[in-house]
Amino acid sequence: MMKFECATLKGLLECASFNILEGNLYVVVTETDFEKNLLLKVLTVLTRLDSGKVFIFDRDVSSISYSELNGIRKRMGVVLNNGGLVSNLKVWENLMLPLSYHASRNQESTTLSNKNLEDKMINILSRIGYSDDLSVLPGPLPTYKKRLIGLARAMLMEPDLMIYESVFAGLSPDVRDRVLEAVNVFHREKKGRASLFLDSRESFIDDVKAESVYMLKKGRFYERS
Amino acid sequence: MKVRVIGEGALATIEYLYELFSLLFTAFRNLHFLKISPVCTVFFRQLYFGGVETFGKIVVIGLLIGIVIITQIANLIGLGSAVLTGKILIWVVVRELGPLLAAIIIIARSVTAISAELGAMNVEGEIESIEIMGIDPARYLIMPRVFALTLSAIALTFYFEFAAILGGITVTSFFWGVPFEEYTKGMLSSLSITELFASLVKSLLFGLAIAAVSCSQGLKVSKSITRIPQAITKATIQSLFLVFIFDGIITFIIFV
Repeated sequence: MMKFECATLKGLLECASFNILEGNLYVVVTETDFEKNLLLKVLTVLTRLDSGKVFIFDRDVSSISYSELNGIRKRMGVVLNNGGLVSNLKVWENLMLPLSYHASRNQESTTLSNKNLEDKMINILSRIGYSDDLSVLPGPLPTYKKRLIGLARAMLMEPDLMIYESVFAGLSPDVRDRVLEAVNVFHREKKGRASLFLDSRESFIDDVKAESVYMLKKGRFYERS
Repeated sequence: MKVRVIGEGALATIEYLYELFSLLFTAFRNLHFLKISPVCTVFFRQLYFGGVETFGKIVVIGLLIGIVIITQIANLIGLGSAVLTGKILIWVVVRELGPLLAAIIIIARSVTAISAELGAMNVEGEIESIEIMGIDPARYLIMPRVFALTLSAIALTFYFEFAAILGGITVTSFFWGVPFEEYTKGMLSSLSITELFASLVKSLLFGLAIAAVSCSQGLKVSKSITRIPQAITKATIQSLFLVFIFDGIITFIIFV
């Protein structure tokens, strides 16, 4: 699903290799937030490697066109620590943005009616326990709520690969448990779906039932026993 | 040393103009994505902000400008020649002031808003998060803004011209007692396709230039909030500069 082959990027990776297999759940812990942010940019192809290769869904992302890359990104759900919401769109518009953009691009609107989309959105929001007003702008919301909206937005796309960036940071125990439950259920919902938790803190590792836990140290990934 | 500095400056200008042309070219290439629902929403929001919300202001300014111009013309040549008065008003308003003042109002309102908005989105990482979702910012953020602003520029120019002419008619007919028919005859005889074409071409090019500059400056804001006011200032000055350059070139080509 995702593979690093001798990936090198100054300040982050030194001929690093890493493999994400279908259906598995992974944790990658970096030493600093800076490394985590840079690694996230590599995973989402916002930053290119100095050398080596990254394969996502069996495609070498260094040699594909921008529209092909967007096709790949469409299959990835990324939950950013700050939510990654668009500040001039209301909460519900943020939630629907990728889904309605890609649906109308592929003329899927006939199969996914507005009512269906709305039902789907409400269902996911109730699963993660978000019950606030959806018609407000996200600016004044606390970061964790923005993150929950970002999580719901990513889930709505039903991606094959989920990447969570410090998703549990700063959550109260009950919200954390609810998110953990929703994330675990969501991981199992689609056959072959892989999940990757990216963080610079190790405190959550025991809660996530990951197949493999990797530490990024001195530019390489080391699997923790 | 001086030659080198001038050469580098010229090169940077050419590079920047190329960047603006590329941005517009990409916008035209992406025009068919306007049918995508969220892109269409951005387009209509920008059109509403840039065109509809500005309607009242541009009409008031147009009426006042029309009154001022007609008063000055009457002071200069007297009230005897209604045909000439109408002709001068048309020439000044339709050929020059309409497109120019509409562009200046758009610069004051929309350029500052667009460059600040895109700059803030860049600083907050929102543009990156849009990309992560597989959405091309050139299609979602830039293209609808370019075309909405250009359409707004064309519409506002014609609102302005209509209001200015109406202002002129109001003053001459109601306050100075010049027969309405005589005044209208003078205006209609001088209002040719050339005048309207020049006005359309100017407003179209002004709109495209203003949109390209504001989007380009907004996207250039690096990861620091202090860069946003700088981007707004640059976008405003460069837009004004380009508008006056285009105005001179088009006037020279069409009317000389």
